[in-house]
Amino acid sequence: MERRTSERLVNLTVALLTARTFTSKDRLRDLVEGYHGLNTENFDRQFERDKDTLRSLGVPIETGTDDRYFADEPGYRIRRNDFELPPLSFTPAEVAVLVTAAQVWQQASMAESTTHALTKVWASGVEPDIDRLGALRPHISAKESAWQPLWDALQARQIVTFTYHDVARRVAPFMLAYRHGAWYLAGFDDTRGAPRLFKLGRIRGDVTPTGQPGAYELPDTPADELLAGLEEAQPDSTALLEVRSGRAPWLTRRGEPVDQGQEWGRWKLPYASGGAVVDDIAMGGADVRVIEPPELALAVAAHHRALLDRLEATP
Amino acid sequence: MTAGPQVARLLTLAPYLQRREYVDVTEVAADFDVKPRQVLDDLQVLVMCGLPGGLPDDLIEIDLDLARDEGVIHMRNSPLSRPLRFTRDEAVSLIVAVEAVREVADGPTAQAAQSVLDKLSGLVSEAPPVRLEVAAGGDDVRDRLGQAIDQGLQVRLTYDGLARRGTTTPIVDPVRVEVRDGASYLVAWALDRNDWRSYRLDRIAVAELTGQPAGGHGAPPVTGTSLDNAPDTATLDLDAGAAWVAEYYPVRDVTVLPDGGVKVVLPVADPGFLTGLILRLGPLVRSVDPPSAAADALAEARAASSQLD
Repeated sequence: MERRTSERLVNLTVALLTARTFTSKDRLRDLVEGYHGLNTENFDRQFERDKDTLRSLGVPIETGTDDRYFADEPGYRIRRNDFELPPLSFTPAEVAVLVTAAQVWQQASMAESTTHALTKVWASGVEPDIDRLGALRPHISAKESAWQPLWDALQARQIVTFTYHDVARRVAPFMLAYRHGAWYLAGFDDTRGAPRLFKLGRIRGDVTPTGQPGAYELPDTPADELLAGLEEAQPDSTALLEVRSGRAPWLTRRGEPVDQGQEWGRWKLPYASGGAVVDDIAMGGADVRVIEPPELALAVAAHHRALLDRLEATP
Repeated sequence: MTAGPQVARLLTLAPYLQRREYVDVTEVAADFDVKPRQVLDDLQVLVMCGLPGGLPDDLIEIDLDLARDEGVIHMRNSPLSRPLRFTRDEAVSLIVAVEAVREVADGPTAQAAQSVLDKLSGLVSEAPPVRLEVAAGGDDVRDRLGQAIDQGLQVRLTYDGLARRGTTTPIVDPVRVEVRDGASYLVAWALDRNDWRSYRLDRIAVAELTGQPAGGHGAPPVTGTSLDNAPDTATLDLDAGAAWVAEYYPVRDVTVLPDGGVKVVLPVADPGFLTGLILRLGPLVRSVDPPSAAADALAEARAASSQLD
């Protein structure tokens, strides 16, 4: 049954592509063998469904009339320029990139879309060269359950509702951003009246599309300011630290060496006062001493004492 | 409509075969990501397709016996000579995938990725609404590693590992670069460990060629690091403010507690990593099981807080 349907749809596509003018429904009924033997009512219904199916696959079927002939009757056609993938050619290095790209998405529907795109490239005459896969294996995963509905809504420009931090939101999605392996949504939050950033992993429950597709336009530079909020805060203070040689590189690489001794070295470290500098220093344990400023030294000592209080208190 | 996927495939298969005079069924199956049986089924549909008119010359011709018996496809007379243009999903997914390659690749590969993107961007009306940020380390490091992998050379890394919480200089035979969870890792044979190791690219400060060729060690394990096989685990009970740990580290298990705190089970391959994490979390740690796993952290905290006295 499915074979006959596929056959009919391919033949309809070819008939529309190869006709030089708009073709009427009745003429198509003659041209496409799959419509023979259907009564008019069934043919009309089948034809409408077939057009919808082909359009959903991206086949650009135009409706119109060729004035000279069927002035009253709508006709259909597919223009080759609209149908065909433009010619593409790639250097061997570029083919290697494409072959690597095939393996990137770990999310099922995106992986499938990438495969389909690449088979169209190979069908254009580009030869895939599997030996060139090489040593690079970038992967993007999208494990958050909110990802697929947000992606669909973003593509469709459709508003969504979801619960975030226990509050119901209505959001117009602008962009999906991937950072440190986590996905974020940048969008206009109707409930707050402003653009907001949402971490997908913190969305509880379903993401529900509401209203019509095409409900809004993407702003020109939608998310740059919002995404800057994901970046680390700019340093506004400087600490003087003493670090055991070769230790706590996550601090020393951000710092400037001042006095380097055999066992200990002094480092100037710029930091953002509102940030996690106390945690970062504490991670170095006894390998890091804060010389200046005194408030920072006290904060680090308090951090360590709180750990001791909590853990040494338990029997 | 269940015929949709097959029709989409047929519209691509016909021009694909038209450009390849003889091609193996298995190769087609691999390129289209379907089973060979499905390819044969598709061929049966294609021979019933062609120009309208119903004359024998109008139909696509495929030697079905050759396909079934020898696994080779020979097709001619297809009225479809070019594939359909990309759908929006197809274009965006491919463009973002190539962007990911560009973000983590070394100089020459990144340039090739950019030129692919330039060619593809002409096919879409707007930039994909997706932003990728992958921690990929410095350009010099990536270029040197790319060169070493390509030419089979050994490197010495200056590595700011978290496990030892200090800088080490391992000599390794690099094999490939992987990206997992938004960070790039070098998978290499570590000579001093006599085993495979992963090194985060953004913690490799320097990569230098030693002048020796890399040895052959077979293929590295498919995914992951020593963490996947770590025999030891530690369970941390944490305040709500530390919930990010579950999102940031490869935890074996995470339970959200009624008051918003979290209980995470972490694999422990190098104890130094756990010590650093406990010190960093400090007041947010409610308990550690087994208690011995926190001993080093407590000793350091004691030493550090007494420095002020």
